[in-house]
Parts: sequence; C-alpha cells; structure tokens
Amino acid sequence: MDMPIYYTRAEYIETDTGNKVSRRATIAGPQNIILGGKTIISSGAIIRGDLRRTGPGHAVVISLGRYCLIGEGCVMRPPYKTYRGNFNYYPMKIGDHVHVGANTIVEAATIGNHVEIGKNCVIGKFTIIKDCAKIADNTVIPPNTVVPALALFAGSPGKHSVRAVNEDMKVTFAGQYVEDLPESTQEMAEAYTKQYYTRFQPLPNER
Amino acid sequence: MAPNVEYYCPCLAASPHPPPPHLPSSSFSFHPLHSLFFCEECDAVRCNRCVMVEVSGYYCPNCLFEVPSASVRAEKNRCARNCFHCPNCRNTLTVVASDPPEDADARMSPIVSTTLGEPPFFLYCNHCRWDSAEVGIIFEKPTGLAAQLQKYEDSAPESLEFERLKEHFEPYLRASSSSALPAASHHIHTNPITAAAASALARDIPGVGKYSALARNRIGREKSTQKQEIPDYKPRVEVGAASGLSAGGGEADVEYMRHLEMDSEVATLEQRWGNSWVSSLRTADLKPMRIPLQAKKSKRCPSCRHILIKPEQKAQSVRYKIKLVAANYLPAISVSLPHAQAALEMMKRSTALSKSASVPGDEHGAAAGTLLAGKTYAFHLAFTNPLYDPIQVRLKKAQVMPAGEARRPAFQVNLPSAAFPIAAFAEAWEYEDDEEDVFALEEEDMEMDGMGRDGRGRARTVGILEKRANVTVVGGEVILTKEARGNAKFNMLVSYTYRSDDPEPADDEMATPSRGHASSRAPDMKTFSFYTVVDLGPVVPRDESRVDPD
Repeated sequence: MDMPIYYTRAEYIETDTGNKVSRRATIAGPQNIILGGKTIISSGAIIRGDLRRTGPGHAVVISLGRYCLIGEGCVMRPPYKTYRGNFNYYPMKIGDHVHVGANTIVEAATIGNHVEIGKNCVIGKFTIIKDCAKIADNTVIPPNTVVPALALFAGSPGKHSVRAVNEDMKVTFAGQYVEDLPESTQEMAEAYTKQYYTRFQPLPNER
Repeated sequence: MAPNVEYYCPCLAASPHPPPPHLPSSSFSFHPLHSLFFCEECDAVRCNRCVMVEVSGYYCPNCLFEVPSASVRAEKNRCARNCFHCPNCRNTLTVVASDPPEDADARMSPIVSTTLGEPPFFLYCNHCRWDSAEVGIIFEKPTGLAAQLQKYEDSAPESLEFERLKEHFEPYLRASSSSALPAASHHIHTNPITAAAASALARDIPGVGKYSALARNRIGREKSTQKQEIPDYKPRVEVGAASGLSAGGGEADVEYMRHLEMDSEVATLEQRWGNSWVSSLRTADLKPMRIPLQAKKSKRCPSCRHILIKPEQKAQSVRYKIKLVAANYLPAISVSLPHAQAALEMMKRSTALSKSASVPGDEHGAAAGTLLAGKTYAFHLAFTNPLYDPIQVRLKKAQVMPAGEARRPAFQVNLPSAAFPIAAFAEAWEYEDDEEDVFALEEEDMEMDGMGRDGRGRARTVGILEKRANVTVVGGEVILTKEARGNAKFNMLVSYTYRSDDPEPADDEMATPSRGHASSRAPDMKTFSFYTVVDLGPVVPRDESRVDPD
C-alpha cells in the first residue's frame, strides 16, 4: 500500500527539521526562503528567493509550511507589479500540506493549507488559493484569481476542458470553478502529504 | 488502473443487497469512503446522492464576502460588490482608470493620480485583454459598479416582463400557499410556486392536466374553486421577437452570419449561456457579468433529517460544527496486489541500481501488475480502524449473482472466513513522526518477506498477514478461469463488531428492511455491516499476454 519512493542519498540534503532539498534544484536567495519542516524540494525545481522587495532590511520572499512538496521542474516565483510607479516584488506565502505537481509555475500571493496543485499548471500572479482547494492538472489560473476554500478549479484556454464531453468542444476559458470537494478533504490531504513524506526515503542499499 | 475499494450506499436500491458489480449501473451505488456520510440516528451510510442539501450561507467566490440571505434575492444571486466575470474568458475583471492626460500635469501625475486615477473607469481582463470600453461600458466613479451594471440588467425587457409576471401571480401564490399545504406534504418537491405554475399550465394547455401528477391530486378541488381566479396575463414582450437590439433570432441574425469573416465573431455557447436573458450572438456585444454567488451547504439525513454536515458560518473556514463522515465510523479498506508491487519494486530497483540480484517473477515483471486469465493471485486488504475501541471484522463475499447468468463465475474469490481483530485507533500514533522512518523500514522488510513467500510456495495467502497499530492486513486469493474477461470485481460484505457506547434500546426501530442487516445486537456489542465492491483491476486474456513478453 504505502510503497516507498526512493531517491539516491547523495542527491538530497536533509535539514535538521526534516526538509529534503535536492541538490539539483535551483534555490536562489536561500536566506529569503523559509521551509517549515518535512518539506521536499524535488530535483529541477527553481525557487526564486532572490526576487525580493526593494528596500533595506531582511525580507522573507517565499515561505513554505510543513509537509509541502515542490515537484520536479517547478518554478516558484514571487509575484510582481508596478504600484504607484514603483516596480516591486511581493512575498509568496504557502501553508502546510501543500503539494505542487511537476512542471508547474507558481506566482501566487497566498496559498492556504491542504492545497493540491496538479502537474503542468500555471498559477498566475497574485492568485489567492484558500484552504483545501484543488487545482487539476494542466490548469491555467489567470492573474488575480481567488480560489475559494474546498473548490476544484480546472480548465485552460485552448485545451479541452474536463467538462467537455464532446472532443471537438474547444474551451477558451481559463481555469475556473468546477465543483466542491468532499468535506473530508482536509483529513485526506493531511494523511496523503504525511504519508508521502514517510514514503520518500533514501535507497536502503546505500546505507 | 490501481485496484480499489468502494463502499455501498443503499439509497438507490430496493433490496438490501447491492447490485452485482459487473453491471455498469452498479457504479452509481458505490462511492469512495471519503465522500460518504454516516447517520448515527439511523445507523446507516449516506451518500451525496441521497442526502438533503440546504444552503447555510451565501458568499461571493471572488471577494469572499458573506452575503446575508435577505439581500441575495434583491441582488439576483450575484455579487453586488466589484466582482465581474470577463464575458470572453470568465476571468475576474479589474477596474482600471484611464491614462492620465499627457499634457500639462504629466509631471505630477505619478503621485496625484494614483489614489483614484482619471475617469472614465472601465473593466479590464488581465488574461484575455478584453475591456469594457469596447462594449461602451464606462464608469465615472470606480465604486459601486455592480449597482450600475445591475441597472442595465434589470432594465432588460425580459427582466421587466419577468417582474410583471411575478406581480401578476402574487395574489394567487398567497392564496394557494395556504390551501396547497396538505398536497405539498405528500409531494416533497411541491412548493407554492411550482404548484401555481403547474396548475396554470394545466389550465392553459388542454391535455397537460392529466399528465401532471400534481394536477391530478388536486384537480377535483381546483376545478370548482380556483379556475376563474386569475385573469389572463397579457405579455408585453412577444416571444421570439424580443427586444430590437440584442435578443437574436430571425432575419437579423441570418443577415449577420452572412457577412461573417471569422468564426470568433460569434460568441460561443459557453460564453452566452451563463447570461440571465437572451443576448446577442455577437462576441462584440458580450457584457461583463456580475459574479454568481456560491453557497455553503449543510446536509441532512434523508430519512431522519438529522444534520450530517453543518459548516461553520465563516465562508472560508474549512471547519464544521457537525461533520458525520463515514470515514470516522467504518474501517478504511485499501487493496493491493502483492505481485504488482513486487514487479514495480523490481523495476524501480533495477533502474536505480542498474542490476537486481535475482528476478524470480520474470513474467510478472513484464506484465507489471495485470491479472492474467487462468491464474491465481493473492491480494492484500488492509483495514484501518478509525474507532477508539478495538473491533472484530468478518468478511463475506456477497453471492448475489443472478441465477440466470451461467457464464458469470469467471473467477472465484477466497477470503479469510474467521473474524479478525483490529486494534483501536489511538491519537498517539499520529505523533510518532520521528520514529516513522524506522518503522516504515521494518514494515517494508516484512512485506518483502511476505512477497518472497508468495513467489515460492504461496504459503499462507489467505488469512491475517500483518497487524500493526490500528491496521490489520489480511490476504485473499482470486482464482481466474481461462475465460475471465473485464475487471475482476466482487462485492464484499464487511461486518464489524464494536463495543456500543449507548446501551439504551432506543435504536430498535432502525431495523428497516433496507438495512436490516445493520443490527444484530449482542448484550454490549454491536455489529454493523456494509457492502463494498473490490476492484482488482482488468483481467488480461491469456493469448494477449503471451505476445507481450516476446
């Protein structure tokens, strides 16, 4: 049932709090990144902690909670805008038990707890994703979208929507609300992310 | 597809037994455990199809404002703040100010104009770059836009017509709501409005009356009393020829289509059908829409009306005041095929280490977890106990195969016949995070031993295989005949015995026939039974698999 997911010991650095960070991930500006513990950064991921707010002092650019997973080839990049004539980056905050699928690009402002984001998604600038929401694979969430709690969002312009029964039905809409998730989503996400962390272990023969 | 287990909800069936799993329709009766509810009063499983859903609060999915239900109707179920859908791509629109004029005050503009910006304001889509100036919607102030847009909506001829219709029927509704009550109690779906509409329909169109169950109920009464009460309604909008400029149909549209150059000039159905009223065919005429509200829902048991789900008032809270989900009552079952796992393991190891020591199940590796017809496979069922008391579980294969089907027993399933215990769930295990690593390793070693045994002699495949914490793994066996096709799916009756918390005999009346098997009470112990369907995955015919390894 809980089959282990093996990695080669040499590839991952494990911190005191149990974070596992691939040596093949690009972590820019690590002093501006907070990992909550037991969070996995997979190989090929890019985390842009260097895109910080201009101004003096210490700034947290990206903070991740506990039991998160940043999939292979993900790009985590803080959102930016020009406000009152000044170009600036804004911090990105991600809660606990958040899984981000492979090759997804995230420029969200806030992601709550127990959120699952699929593979190959684009999460637009300043998106706010509330607790227990889910983004299906291959979804494009436009900038400034709000994803309410316990909602499933899917859809991508130019692609076939999950709702399109007819293959010829092209959908021009970007990611939007599809349905409500079950009431026990929180427990499921928590169990899944914890289990994933337990399964993620070095190849035993190397010890 | 991975093997899985789904749970049965008896709401669709007349008999207490679930439909045979090979019928396609049976999938409507089985649900994943996490989507089911459990009514403590009835001692029964409930699913999303049978629960009664009530709105417990409205909110805007964009600004997350909780809308009091009093204003929901006045605002026509859409957000009355500054939330708009792009008519083109459904993204959220933002309010944008016009560019400041380039002349005299250009120097000071970055500071001054930022608070409000220059009028006129318009709505702009960050995703597809649509803007409301294209369709001539501009605003003098950046606030209260919804009210201004709603004025447009409300002045649509269809909207006015609808208002007039409502006004027209109002006295009748008020009169019938009192008299219709006895009838409504029979018929759950009847409310005064549908009753009024149905009886009006029955009166106006000859012959409809006798097909409407509702009208049949009450026809005797109505014929005499209410027939003459409502005067005829004179519509002010002719059907079809509605409103000159927007609503389509007829010559104008044909003429328009004749001169099309791009198909994108015509708005897609998806772009139009969210509108309240008939709108123009042209993409260029699409109007921004106020965002429809969403609701938080509470759910009730259909038979006893007790609340199963009651969300917290706050719109974005994911907590519940009441949450009776089946996962807290029924043991969770997960099924796995050890031979498939062994094969996967083997492949992983061999790719990771570039060579593996020995390959006992070579053909297994090639087929990677598929079931070959004519073979026997072991499968594991892991039961997880969510209760704070230990339980005893007994499994039984449900034999509800209809007698008529001769070719059906394409496979035979052996399950452990003796009852087996599962230890109680203890919160403490949740916190053993640090030891989990060691634990997982041990567990894995054990599992590998088990696999070795399976591979060699199939010693002990049926029975209890493993016990740890609140999980017990039992083994079963499926014997496929040579003619087996489709998915190896079977219904399984799971009964578990637990210590009852409430010894009072209050729940005797619960033994309704549909779930009569739910209760056979020992002095202090209670037994609950439920059906599941176990899907072990598709069976591959023999010949095909022969081709594969070659």
